[in-house]
Amino acid sequence: MSTSETIRDLLDPRELPLRHRLGVVALGILALAPLWSRLLYAGGQDLLLLRTLTAALFLGMFAMSWDAVSGYTGQISFGHAVFFGVGGYSSALLNLGYGIPPGFAIVGGTVFAGLAGLVIGVPSLRLEGPYLSLVTLVAPIILLRVFVFRSDVFGGELGLPSPDPLVPTSGFEQATIVFFYVAFFTFLVILGVLLAVTRSDTGSVFTAIREDEDAVSAAGLNPAKFKIFAFLLSATTGGLAGAVFVHTIGKPTPSELLVTTVSIEVIIAAVLGGMGTIVGAAVGGIFLSLFRSYLSDVTATIPIVGIPIGHLDLLLFAVGTLLLLFYLPGGMVRWAVVAGKRRLADRKPAATDGGQTPIRQVAATWRRSIARLRGADDE
Amino acid sequence: MALPLGGVVVNALMISALYALVAIGFTLIFGVGGVLNLAHGASITIGAFAAYYVSSVFGLGIWAGALAALVVPALFSAAMYLGMIQYVEDNPITVMILTLVTFIAVEEVVKIVAGTQAVAIQSLLTGQVAIGNGLEANRLLVFALSWVLIGLLFAVVNYTRTGKAILATSMSSKGAALVGIESDRMYLYTWILAGAFAGIAGLFLASLQTANWSMGRTPLVLSFSIVVLGGIGSIRGSVVGAYIIGFLETLTTSYVDSSLTGLASLVVLVLILLVKPEGLFGREFTE
Amino acid sequence: MAFTKMVNDTKSSATESRQSKAGRRDDRRDSGSRSSRRRFLAASGVGFAGLTGLAGCLGGGTSGPTGPVKIGVLAPEPGSNPIGASIAQSAKLAAEQLNQDDGILGNDVEVIVKDTHEKPSTGRDVYQDLTVGEEVDFTTGIFTSEVLLALMDSISEQETIHMSTGAATPDAATMVKDDYEAYKYFFRTGPVNAHFLGQNMVDFANANFSNMGWDSVYVLVEDYAWTKPVESVLNNQLGEAGVDVAGMKRYAGGTEDFSTIYDQVEQSGADAAFVAMAHTGTPAVVQWIKQQRPFEFGGIHVPMQLPSYYQATKGACRFAITQNSATPTSEITSKTVPYANAYHDANDKYPVYTGYITFDAVKQYAAAAESASSRAATDIISKLESEPFTGTVGTIRYYGQDEAYPHDVVYDPSGENGVRPLWLQWQEHDGAGKQVSIHPDSVAEGSYRKPPWV
Repeated sequence: MSTSETIRDLLDPRELPLRHRLGVVALGILALAPLWSRLLYAGGQDLLLLRTLTAALFLGMFAMSWDAVSGYTGQISFGHAVFFGVGGYSSALLNLGYGIPPGFAIVGGTVFAGLAGLVIGVPSLRLEGPYLSLVTLVAPIILLRVFVFRSDVFGGELGLPSPDPLVPTSGFEQATIVFFYVAFFTFLVILGVLLAVTRSDTGSVFTAIREDEDAVSAAGLNPAKFKIFAFLLSATTGGLAGAVFVHTIGKPTPSELLVTTVSIEVIIAAVLGGMGTIVGAAVGGIFLSLFRSYLSDVTATIPIVGIPIGHLDLLLFAVGTLLLLFYLPGGMVRWAVVAGKRRLADRKPAATDGGQTPIRQVAATWRRSIARLRGADDE
Repeated sequence: MALPLGGVVVNALMISALYALVAIGFTLIFGVGGVLNLAHGASITIGAFAAYYVSSVFGLGIWAGALAALVVPALFSAAMYLGMIQYVEDNPITVMILTLVTFIAVEEVVKIVAGTQAVAIQSLLTGQVAIGNGLEANRLLVFALSWVLIGLLFAVVNYTRTGKAILATSMSSKGAALVGIESDRMYLYTWILAGAFAGIAGLFLASLQTANWSMGRTPLVLSFSIVVLGGIGSIRGSVVGAYIIGFLETLTTSYVDSSLTGLASLVVLVLILLVKPEGLFGREFTE
Repeated sequence: MAFTKMVNDTKSSATESRQSKAGRRDDRRDSGSRSSRRRFLAASGVGFAGLTGLAGCLGGGTSGPTGPVKIGVLAPEPGSNPIGASIAQSAKLAAEQLNQDDGILGNDVEVIVKDTHEKPSTGRDVYQDLTVGEEVDFTTGIFTSEVLLALMDSISEQETIHMSTGAATPDAATMVKDDYEAYKYFFRTGPVNAHFLGQNMVDFANANFSNMGWDSVYVLVEDYAWTKPVESVLNNQLGEAGVDVAGMKRYAGGTEDFSTIYDQVEQSGADAAFVAMAHTGTPAVVQWIKQQRPFEFGGIHVPMQLPSYYQATKGACRFAITQNSATPTSEITSKTVPYANAYHDANDKYPVYTGYITFDAVKQYAAAAESASSRAATDIISKLESEPFTGTVGTIRYYGQDEAYPHDVVYDPSGENGVRPLWLQWQEHDGAGKQVSIHPDSVAEGSYRKPPWV
């Protein structure tokens, strides 16, 4: 399939299978969020919901970028925050230190993140499995150490001050709505790019590399090239998301972009949604973020221990993830797709009693009893 | 004014023994089971807090606390293996993710139960020993005990039947099965041993420094460096790796710049991975 | 309007400057603020987007919000962190006492506590929950300077008073100085900012070191942002106070093993280690006493300020000294001890410094509102700026616009017209540990004891 056919397939609603149509509808609903949030809530709460959604969109973007390399080629990255951090920090530094306007600074941030992807991806070609993951795990730790060591440039653990917003706004309400759409637009761009790549031949090669790299070489393709491309793709999308983040609702600080928790949340989000699907990562990221936000507001207390649920949100998530990983190892999106397919399939259920489904059997019994009641009592 | 070399060497020796103890559990699971147990740090934290609760909160004294530090993490490790890992051990990626998430869960539980402030536990031995400028007796004891424990492990693995069975499983589980060794049971023993060692390491760390909910993170990263440097599956490699990293760390902080703490092990890790990923004594694990 | 550039100190990472886009409009009710593009110093700088608040939102109307007075409390993990717990419980205690006394301007006082998880992003989210969602009258609390700095723009945007009670970075006050109109809603009721914390250390050294026999000290400072101003003051002034500084070390933030560092202190021959520690305090003091190091120990040591610290560390803090805002038995003002006891009655434990300060912040806000007969932010701001308040930690006054740190609590070494931290030593009495204040004389309960092994 050539790329243009792929894009046409993606964009033509009439040709799409149900799950794709559902996705388009969901995106449409998201696009109208400022409208229906105002209908649902009043007095400022709708703006809070929008902010939460915006944050959720960013986690979705981070998760998608992780999925592009780890879900597809099987090179599991345990420190993906390094790309978000490089993207966000370099964009902020370009803007704050050199006065470069946010739009160009974001491009710069994305480029630097891509370079970071190469710096990590190329040497990692020599490594496999856990060793590769170890390198990715320590990368953000090392970067953070450097930031603290040169805190005169990088701000140490306080981070840098906020750079200019991507779109100047006045007022909380305007800022909220504008940032939401900026995030949504970036989300669409990243989603589009990643879907285009992964649903094409390149995506098939990625999956093949995950399954059996030797087979890929045997087929005459160079796995190294594809693995590096995957890292590059993942790093640039992650860096783009990080850069847009610091120019909208985030700040370039270690605790938002570099700490291990960020990397782990991204992994949990993508795995929950379904590794190796892109859409799963997006859904997982949005869902995880929204649900955590909801949980932390819950004031109910767990009976015996007497601790409010809001304090336990990370713990509950960890436990929930463990359970989900066991029962739905493929993630939520895959499970939904498979379950949906099964339900919609036009299969006649097997009937061992002469061809009637249980429902028809019950209906027949009723009909017989009603007939008997009406007038066949002389049977 | 440079520090006297004698004192620095003593410091390095003390800390390396502790590092070796920390890394051994990790290398066991990696070498035998072939999986990375990212909840290793959780076992360390559990050991330290088990000792704290038993010795201080319940007031049963430090040796009872030491016993708790041995037993509780071993049980935790066994529970993790039996409840989770044994179903997914052929998929190392899933194991990594599951253990990582478990680590986070354990940290949160400790934070909720014990609070965020660090706590101290009693020394196993109080007083000072007349070595150089005066050495804390507890440190010397930890050093000695570490060697004893590592020696015991070495003896068990190389000279007892179960130990040799574990070694066999680590080399080839199919071959081991052919001679009647149940690999599942060997893996279980390995996890239990690793948990016990991690717990003792946690006890020693807490008694020399302090215990707090996030104390497992640095030892986890340290374990990576040591195990990668020493080579997976090699106890000897872990000990040698621990001493190399311990000395490197101490020399850097003493003579170069003490704000470079912790950086030495990270740099070593990256260099080794790029140059000689199989480590000093280990087997191949790269292309 | 021209703004002068503020440079804090050589190692500080914050040089204040403002940048704005030429086309940004201000359309607040009050006179808008204009800002000018400014240059940057090397690779560090601060750019702020001065956002304007919603017109007619909180503080809208002539006399402010109506209904119960809602207090938004931002606390770090109030369930497991004593600093957060003290903030939350003190706010509630203060509200309870106010309600028993007819509330504020006849309205009931409600306290809404939100957990910041000590993270700036969570802090921002819950701050917006409180201001936009719950429409609180004012906010208080916040711990770690990182979280506070991340919130300054939101505070300006929401035009809601914030009385900060846990973070010491001077950068917050310099933001007020640079753009008063935008950031005037920020007040720091406590602690004294890091610059004055360092100043107080020097004042203590001046007054007491010769009595204590500390002729030469080795300064140990943890590498976190809050210690930069402290270190700078110590660097500049300790020598002039006649103290021999045998060495100075800014050690890495993650340090857990202090043996090498203490070897260096020992080798320098210093009588004591003069420290500024918060995150790394506990391992440092525990190893000091376990290794029976031949030097004394003390300075600003935040963990030692916890009243329960002796128990938690099995007495490892014996003989160490620390600066603190107050202790449960020191009568800094007539309100100090009654508050500590009331807190203890309600919570079965004594508060830490953030507790005293948060209690004072709530009570002061109430007093200012009553004095102004209004709940509008601007009216209360002028009362806070002009009327001193006697709290549990001393007399609370704020610096004015033309001083170096506007809206920061005034540090007065004489203790008469401002706040003055006290110094305590952990001593063992009747088998239990006690925080014995040793300085200043007006609140001293005992005198300094030398550790026997030194």
